[in-house]
Amino acid sequence: MTPAVNYLGALLLMLAGASIRTRALKQGFLLAASYLFYAAWGTGFLTILVASSVLNFGLGALLRRKPTLGRLWLGIIVNIALLGFLKYLPALSSDASFFHRILMPAGMSFWTFQALSYLFDLYQEEEIDASLLEFCLYLSFWPTVLMGPVCRLPKMLPQFREVHGLSLENLVAGLHRIGIGLFMKLILAQFLGSALGAALEVAGGFEKAGHAWGGLDVWFMAIAFGFQLFFDFSGYSHIVIGAALLFGFKIEENFDSPYWSSTPSVFWTKWHMSLSSWIRDYVFIPSATLRHEPLWRYFALLSSMVLFGLWHGATVTFLLWGTYHGIFLILHRLGQQFQRRSGISMDGAAGTFLSWAVTFFGISLGWVLFRTSDLQQALAMFRAVLSPASYAQLLLPADCYRAVLVLVSGYFVYGGLTSGDWVSRKGEELLKGGAGDPGAARRILAFSWENRRWWLTPMAVTVVVFAGLIVLFQNSRVTPFVYTLF
Amino acid sequence: MDEAAQAQELIDYILQEVIRRPAVQLTADSPLVSSGLIDSFALVDILVKVEDVTNMRIPAGKVQPKDMDTVTLMLATAKRVGKFRKAK
Repeated sequence: MTPAVNYLGALLLMLAGASIRTRALKQGFLLAASYLFYAAWGTGFLTILVASSVLNFGLGALLRRKPTLGRLWLGIIVNIALLGFLKYLPALSSDASFFHRILMPAGMSFWTFQALSYLFDLYQEEEIDASLLEFCLYLSFWPTVLMGPVCRLPKMLPQFREVHGLSLENLVAGLHRIGIGLFMKLILAQFLGSALGAALEVAGGFEKAGHAWGGLDVWFMAIAFGFQLFFDFSGYSHIVIGAALLFGFKIEENFDSPYWSSTPSVFWTKWHMSLSSWIRDYVFIPSATLRHEPLWRYFALLSSMVLFGLWHGATVTFLLWGTYHGIFLILHRLGQQFQRRSGISMDGAAGTFLSWAVTFFGISLGWVLFRTSDLQQALAMFRAVLSPASYAQLLLPADCYRAVLVLVSGYFVYGGLTSGDWVSRKGEELLKGGAGDPGAARRILAFSWENRRWWLTPMAVTVVVFAGLIVLFQNSRVTPFVYTLF
Repeated sequence: MDEAAQAQELIDYILQEVIRRPAVQLTADSPLVSSGLIDSFALVDILVKVEDVTNMRIPAGKVQPKDMDTVTLMLATAKRVGKFRKAK
C-alpha cells in the first residue's frame, strides 16, 4: 500500500467518522483513521506505537489504583528505556554497530512525552477515566502524532467524547489557520532557507566549519536560522491546529510571538509552548520544590533546560544548547534580584527595549549550538563572534544580508502594527455605532487615508517581496519540516 | 490563622516580594500564572510561602501551575494535597 492510499483512507474514515453520532463508534473511526495515517511511515512503527499505548494504559491502571512514587518511577523508566533504545542508542552507536541501523518511529519523542504526562497526571490524582480506546486515540491522534504539539489527555478527552459533526465555522477557521501555516512554511521559512543562495543555504552555512566567517556573518546566520526554525515549526503547528479544527478539535497553541519576549523566561512561555510547559510542569516545578535552598532551584532549572536540549537528540551540541539556556535563565534571575536590591527599574521604554535586545540576541546566538553538527563548528563560530577584528570581513552574499534584514524587520513591523491594545481600541472606536452604522464606513475610510503612510508603504514592500519570492522559488525545492528530525 | 488571613498574607507576599509593581492590585481570585504576572521560578518561591502560611508540606510532583493560578486555588491545593508538618 502506498502512503497516498493511507492518507486517502484516513481522510475518508475521518469524514465518515464526522457524521457518526455514537460516541464509541466515532472514536473507533478516529482511531482507525489515525492508525492508517501513521502506518504510512511503516507498519513496524505502528506496532511500536500500539505496544507503547497498551503498556502505558496498563501502567496508568496501576497508578489509578494506587498513585505511589514507585509506580510513577516504573512508568518513567519504561518509557525512557524505550525512547533511549530507539532514539538515543542508534545516535550514540558507531556506524558499524547493529544499533546504528535502528530507526526511531516517527514522532516518538512527542507521543512518549504525551504518555508520560498521562502517568504524571494520574500520580497527581487528576480525575482521568479514559478507556483503552480513548487512550490509544490520544497517543495516535493523526494531526499531532508526528510532530506535536504535545497534548494533555485532560484537554483532549472531553473533545474525544463530544459527538459533533462538521461545521462551516470550524471549516473556515481551520482553513484560515492552514493558510497561515502554509504561508509561513512555504514562503517565509523556504525563503530564509534559500537566503544564502541555492548552493549554500542557511543550514549549509553552518556546515562550513573551516570557513573563516566574520562575526556579523555568524550573527546573521544565527538570526536567519532562528527565524527559519520559527516559521517552519510555527507554520507546521498552524497547519496541525487548522487540520484538527476542520473536524472540530481544538489543540493547544504552540507559539505566541516568541521573538517579542522581553525576557528569556517569557520567551520560554511562548516558544514550543507544549514542550516548554511540559518541562515546567513535570520536571522543573516538582524538582525545584524538593528542597528549599535557592542554589537547588538554580540546579533544577539548569537540569530542566539540559533535558529540554537532550529531548531533541543525544548530541553534545543539544546538551550544550540546553545548558546555555539554563545559564541564560539563571543570569536573568540573578539580574532581576540585583535590580531589586539596587532599586534599578527596567519598567520604562528604554529598559524594556534593552531587556528585549539582550533576550533576542542571546536567544539567537544559542541557535548556533542548536544547528551546528559538532562542537568544533560551534566553537569556531563563537570565536568569530567574540573577535572584534573578524567583523571587518563579510563573507555572506550581499543578498543574504538584504533577505534577512527585510524578513526580520518585516516580521517586527507587521507584529507591531497588528498587535497591542491600540488596534482593538481604535477598531472599537471606529465601529462604535455597530457594523450597520452608515457613519462607520466613512470614519474608517477617513482614518485609513489620514494614516496611509502606515499601510501603503508596508503594502508596497509586501508586493515587491512577493514578486521577488515568486522569481526566487521558480527553481527551488521545498525543504522538509525541521522537527521531523526529533 | 483562618483562611482569609492566610489569603491576605499570601497576597501581601506576592505583591511585595514577587511582583513589586505599585500599580498592580490583587485579590484572592486574580489570575497570576495565566496572566503572565509571575513566572515559573517565582511560582516555586510562592509554593514555599504557601507551605509556611498553611503549615503544610506540599509533596513535590503533586502540584501544577494551573493549581496555583490564584491565591484561592493555592490554598485549596494545599488543603487537597498538603500534609500537616510535625511540630518540632
